[in-house]
Amino acid sequence: MQITKLQSNKFKTNLSALFITVPLSKENCTKNALLTSVLRRGTNNLKTQEDIAKRLEELYGAGFNCGVDKLGNYHVLKFYLETLENTYTLNNENLLQEGVNLLLDIVFNPLVENGAFSKTYVDQEKLNLQKVIESRKDNKAIYARERCLENMFADESYSIYKYGRVEDLASINETNLYEYYKNLLKNCKIDLYITGNNIDNVKVPEISSKVIPQIPNVHLAPSEPNVVNEIQDVTQGKLIIGLDVDDKNKAAVSMYNTILGGGANSKLFQNVREKASLAYSAGSSYIRRKNVILIQTGIEIENYNKAVKIIEEQLQDMKNGKISDDEFNAAKQLIVSSIELIEESKEDMITFYFDQNLFEENLSVTEYKEMIKKVTKDDVIKVAQKVKEDTIYFLTKGAE
Amino acid sequence: MQKIQNDKIKESVYIETLDNGMKIIIIPKPNTNKKYIIWGTKFGSIDNHFIEPKTGKEIKVPDGVAHYLEHKMFEQENGVDSLYKLMSLGLDANAYTTNDHTAYLFGGTNNFYEGLDELMDYVQHPYFTDQNVEKERGIIGQEIGRYDDEPAWKLYINLMDCLYKNNPVKLDIAGTVESISHITKEVLYDCYNTFYHPSNMTMCISGNFEPEKIVEEVKKRLLPKEKMGEIKRIYPEKELTINKKFKEQNMEVNIPLFMIGYRDVLDNENNVMKQIAIEIILNSLIGKSSKLYQNLYNEGLLMGPLDFYDEFADEYSHVVIGGQSENPEKINEEIVNVLKTEKVSKEDFERNKKALYGEYVSEYDDVETIGRMFLQDSMRGINSLEFVDAFSKITLDYVNKIQKELFKEEMSALSIIRKEK
Repeated sequence: MQITKLQSNKFKTNLSALFITVPLSKENCTKNALLTSVLRRGTNNLKTQEDIAKRLEELYGAGFNCGVDKLGNYHVLKFYLETLENTYTLNNENLLQEGVNLLLDIVFNPLVENGAFSKTYVDQEKLNLQKVIESRKDNKAIYARERCLENMFADESYSIYKYGRVEDLASINETNLYEYYKNLLKNCKIDLYITGNNIDNVKVPEISSKVIPQIPNVHLAPSEPNVVNEIQDVTQGKLIIGLDVDDKNKAAVSMYNTILGGGANSKLFQNVREKASLAYSAGSSYIRRKNVILIQTGIEIENYNKAVKIIEEQLQDMKNGKISDDEFNAAKQLIVSSIELIEESKEDMITFYFDQNLFEENLSVTEYKEMIKKVTKDDVIKVAQKVKEDTIYFLTKGAE
Repeated sequence: MQKIQNDKIKESVYIETLDNGMKIIIIPKPNTNKKYIIWGTKFGSIDNHFIEPKTGKEIKVPDGVAHYLEHKMFEQENGVDSLYKLMSLGLDANAYTTNDHTAYLFGGTNNFYEGLDELMDYVQHPYFTDQNVEKERGIIGQEIGRYDDEPAWKLYINLMDCLYKNNPVKLDIAGTVESISHITKEVLYDCYNTFYHPSNMTMCISGNFEPEKIVEEVKKRLLPKEKMGEIKRIYPEKELTINKKFKEQNMEVNIPLFMIGYRDVLDNENNVMKQIAIEIILNSLIGKSSKLYQNLYNEGLLMGPLDFYDEFADEYSHVVIGGQSENPEKINEEIVNVLKTEKVSKEDFERNKKALYGEYVSEYDDVETIGRMFLQDSMRGINSLEFVDAFSKITLDYVNKIQKELFKEEMSALSIIRKEK
């Protein structure tokens, strides 16, 4: 297990995070999601989630959280535990050590009965996971985003929902999930991050971790954009446009994305919202590890053509180099500021350094900032000229 | 300037009330690079009927006006959009409107004083024209549309409709497409001139600041304003009962959403202590470590912890408990029953008190959380630091007393969103 300590005196709490990383695969996705839910149910020391909850309360309301995420072509099982810094306890308790112990207990010492996970826990969590997967449509904005990505990466493992598929659940039981878990621990990358003040003396046992291979992106943009309409009971349409962007010069792509849709001064916000009054929200986000930019906006159904036209005009303008100094400088300032904020948040620090480590870039926050500072307008225009519209997705209502 | 020091959590808070009545609260954080400022006015969606202090004129305004005004503040006479300007400075700027206040804010690591120039300039210079007011109607209409599709928001608004008959807390903060069609520049100016007077405003600042120095910087940027008398706000008569027990709406959600509410009959009791008591009661009896939660989870009726919080201002006070379940009626029955019949044990009391204390201290992790917390508490007449002392004073007897007074079956209501059967 790779242990990274990020010392900082800015906070009143310590955050510890444990990540288990494996290549993303359709086959194992559901098992990974289910596993995190089963692990948080009980350990051999604290057998029920009630016991764990009480323990967390005793540790001054320590916050525990876990889940799964897709990060590039990897699936990451994440476990977080936040404790109050020892200085603020009433009886000088060592909350940091206790917290780390609890985190390790949850991940590496699950409740085992007769050589398997608890049947009750696995059965209950299977039902819950099924509900989670089926409830995905409830948040329209997130749903539309994910559906656009699924269409873009239809033939890759990346198209799988991070919580997996309902049809996989039937064949999973307490025995084969436990076998999977034991195997997983032998073949995954394990990282522990500890942040906050006074973290030097935390004791962590040796746990073995594997080096996992880099998995290249293979996606090719279609010659013409795919147009996808999905019908649901919505009053507001969700328009998502997926763009394929260059794999190289990510700093310039980052600038491109921010000029296009990064904030109130972006082309999308100014033109879709402020000038045309078509939407309340209009912007874009850069999924760096998949070389994708997603444009997203919520509009009246009948304004679809108008919105697509305005958005495409912005893309064309950027290709033609129509980027004002104001737009360029504002975008740079915005990114630089957001980078400077990374060290003001424990979670952001962990996310940044873990990502840098996983994708073997190993930049520091400062180095990353310098790369952004060096980007020129020409770099951005070069990036713009390689941008390809991949998928135009619209979540819309059916005919009346 | 008043200085309040707290040795337990190692924080100091400085409070200055200026001659014009504006309050400035400074919470220095010497080790952080991030700076945060939030400037609020006690004007929210519930303030739709008032007497203008200068003219004595009684004014009724369309629903959603506080929020509309917030949107329009960013537009300046010289064509500059202040949000644009602040973002160009690398500052993360925003504004929001709640039931009882409106706030303008920004945070970031650099250009703080340039940002302060812009913030204090635009909040003090309204510029409303027929044309620019008209332009905003489409954008706000889309914002309202977005909320209309959000089950969680509908769930909450329907619960407010159950708990209150006439109280404006039950209205959508942004109003309706119909109500905002009546908003004109004259309405906006009337509201601005009344509620954006410094005596109705509070500013909270957190980051690496010298309190005296930052107060001077703020004072330099304040425009002189004539003193203004008290704003008389007119609200419907206080209600002693709830409006209805139950409301259900059909929307496309996979698992039904529910929210249970308890109306609190208002009094001016110690709100800080009461808030802590409410949290201890709910954490002990229906929280993550409670028997009730374990049972409902094991029966498959809950998939995750219940979400609960209390909301109060001068004109309303209630507790809400929400979650998702295939059988919301059963959950409601069990929760109402437990809160009526079970008591917080000594052990649960001590453990949850400690947990809440830890969570409270954690709030001081980040300048943004600090700024928001102090502003929101201040709008309700509370100094956030009072919470620290209240933890050492609260007793189990007091907690029991609050439970008996607050969690009465006849004061509870249930809101459900589920898909059509």
